[in-house]
Amino acid sequence: MNWLSRQFTTRVIVLIPIAIALNIVLGFITQTVLRLPIYLDSIGTILVGVLAGPIAGAATGAATNLIWQFTGITPNIGPFFLTAAVIGFLAGLWGYLGIFRPRPASGTQLVMAAAIAAGIVVLLVVPIIGNPTYLDPDLGGFPEWAVPAAIIIAILAALAVAAFIYVRRDLAGLWVALAGALTGIVAAIVSAPIAAYVFGGVTGSGTDVIVAALRQGGADVFQAALGQGFFSDPIDKVITSFVVFVLLAGLSRRLVSRFPLGDRLGPTSEPMPGSSADN
Amino acid sequence: MTLHLDSVTYRYAGAVREALRDVSLEIGPGHAVGIAGASEAGKSTLCLVAAGLAPQTIGGRLEGRVTVDALDTSATPPHVLAQRCGILFQQPATQLSATASTVWEEVAIGPRNLGLALDEVIERTWAALAVLAIEHLADRDPDLLSGGQMQLVALAGVLAMRPAYLVLDEPTAQLDPAGTAMVGRAIEGLAENGASILIAEQKSDLLAALCQRIIVLDAGRVVGKGSPEEVLADERLEEWGVDAPAPVRLRRTLTAAGLPPELVL
Amino acid sequence: MTAGAHPRGLPDFVARTESGPYRDLAPTTRLVLALSMALFAFVVRGWTGPLLVLALVVLLAWLARVRRGFVPYLLATLPFVISVLLINTFLYPDATDVMFTIGPVSATASGFTDAVQTALRVVAFALSVALFALTTPTNLLVADLERRGLGRRPAFVLGAAVGLVPRLLRQAREIAEAQRARGLDTESTIWRRARGVVPLAGPLVVGALSDVEDRSMALEARAFSAPGRRTVLRTQPEGAFQRAARWGLVVATAAVVVASVAGYLRWLP
Repeated sequence: MNWLSRQFTTRVIVLIPIAIALNIVLGFITQTVLRLPIYLDSIGTILVGVLAGPIAGAATGAATNLIWQFTGITPNIGPFFLTAAVIGFLAGLWGYLGIFRPRPASGTQLVMAAAIAAGIVVLLVVPIIGNPTYLDPDLGGFPEWAVPAAIIIAILAALAVAAFIYVRRDLAGLWVALAGALTGIVAAIVSAPIAAYVFGGVTGSGTDVIVAALRQGGADVFQAALGQGFFSDPIDKVITSFVVFVLLAGLSRRLVSRFPLGDRLGPTSEPMPGSSADN
Repeated sequence: MTLHLDSVTYRYAGAVREALRDVSLEIGPGHAVGIAGASEAGKSTLCLVAAGLAPQTIGGRLEGRVTVDALDTSATPPHVLAQRCGILFQQPATQLSATASTVWEEVAIGPRNLGLALDEVIERTWAALAVLAIEHLADRDPDLLSGGQMQLVALAGVLAMRPAYLVLDEPTAQLDPAGTAMVGRAIEGLAENGASILIAEQKSDLLAALCQRIIVLDAGRVVGKGSPEEVLADERLEEWGVDAPAPVRLRRTLTAAGLPPELVL
Repeated sequence: MTAGAHPRGLPDFVARTESGPYRDLAPTTRLVLALSMALFAFVVRGWTGPLLVLALVVLLAWLARVRRGFVPYLLATLPFVISVLLINTFLYPDATDVMFTIGPVSATASGFTDAVQTALRVVAFALSVALFALTTPTNLLVADLERRGLGRRPAFVLGAAVGLVPRLLRQAREIAEAQRARGLDTESTIWRRARGVVPLAGPLVVGALSDVEDRSMALEARAFSAPGRRTVLRTQPEGAFQRAARWGLVVATAAVVVASVAGYLRWLP
């Protein structure tokens, strides 16, 4: 089998439509029904990317947005298929690099990893609060409580990530956070021109609150779209990456090992004590 | 022309324990062989191995040899095996492709996948529906059928491949009594018409009615084999975790009450 | 097993063909048409693009006898339309032609113009896709694409994905109902909404993934990995006109895109 068909085995072909449907349903619920300022429409994409490689991931992402537009439940999702494809492609890269493989550790290594991950999360918030536009009262800017609220959210998120790493005694959390943050930043950069040029910088979902706030602070259409992206995307992709990480850890070795990149998720040839999936 | 397992030992990918140990089995043309045993005894595994899905499709390690009409299942492509040995699983819903809007199109999927001529596809589809007497379901949406009906549609899909052997992995396990009766009747019809069947079941009534031979599995090993009368009246059934069929249980109850067992017809 | 004589051919409900000026077109042609219209609506800025496309959509919908089907698609555009009307009217950067002021924000004419144009653009885009989706069942589209050479794997992915969405939505609704009985609230503060996603997403994802192994086995047992092309059930003859029309559309759309990007279309209103 050549390299391409190795990425698209029957198991992968079965997984992809499930991943697409999950993306659409979870994304629709998060964005339109619950109107949260995040997306949560990439869990399936990243899952496929990590298990089956960059091309499969990119295909899943692109197909998600196109099929989503076809269903009509969200009218402005189609053109972002580029972003989704990039997210899937990156997920495939992280899969190849074994980012999502458990890395048991303890002691100082663990504490350092937790600290660094917490630092990354806090850094994600800096562009928002560090921008003088938002703080200058003459320009309108965010309401008074926005900056302290953002700091508190950042600290809480950082603590959550650090706790995740420490309690699970697993260094992988650091790499997952890093991968998620990078994916989010790239996604924001790819999305901004699409949002600005095609949709006037407006998303029609919960993220518009951020767009409005940024515009009020003096940003133009593109800057507001980019700023909104930098707020929502890294957080969303870090959350999504952690969700995928936990999911993968919970899947049986037998199921995972049969995927093209399954072996990069941890040893599958050595027998696990006490397990025998059988009937 | 037989389905032959020769000293087969099998272990799932990532497992410590072997799921099958030194199992040998042969199914000749027109024979129906039953597999009995408690859950986790290896019945499903034996079905997957016999149909050739293990090890090729699901991985794992196989020792020994499995041949279907002299084809080695470890060395033959799955689509060739699918035309020799069909397999029906427990869960009706996951066997449907979810891409067909009518039962007819769902059953036609197998022949279509083989790239057969359109006339052949049409013929096989109607034939499969007719054999199971479900032509009246042909224009229905497969998603909206009852469990028993779905299972019959899945079976029709398998029959459309015209396999020489049928492996049935607890086909009525997830069905309600009506569905169980429906599917049981259909399988008995197939057996009467001379199909070669390997069927695993917890409900030994079906095995008793259907099979000329039954083997009992316990922890992956064959611990009993023989005709249904011999096996299902064996004292060790309870130890093996197998429920005896209704007439046997009734006989035992009568005997325990001091009444003549011949009262049961 | 006994086959018996089967003089029947393809059942009617499988071989059904549609008729009408729009529905006579092959699904692939309709797809190309929908994409061209969508691109046109975006690429030709101002009023021309969106209004032209909307007019065409209305005409084709009338020809194809699509009426009430548009309503859910239209309703789905409402949140976006409201959002863009509010944000771009009141918060349009560098706009000085103020119409009126409410508190800290002012509505500007150029902002309002941009907002309405964007709204029209998105509605035109959504409706041209809607027209295609409403008149073209997925399995017809997939069959048409397969006839033209689409492999069985992408065909399966397309068909299964579209089929799974309503099923998962139904499951999600059921889970949400159960959660609501336990206190998940979709109307309240952002915190409670966020907290509500996890118990919803968890069972949905795990349930969907658990089937992968069984479904792959079932596919293999139906010879899914056989080589060569799958047999196509419906053959829909099409004239040379359609093929020419498709290529013509592609070339014309490409030309319009280039012209727009190069700035030649700025004279349009």
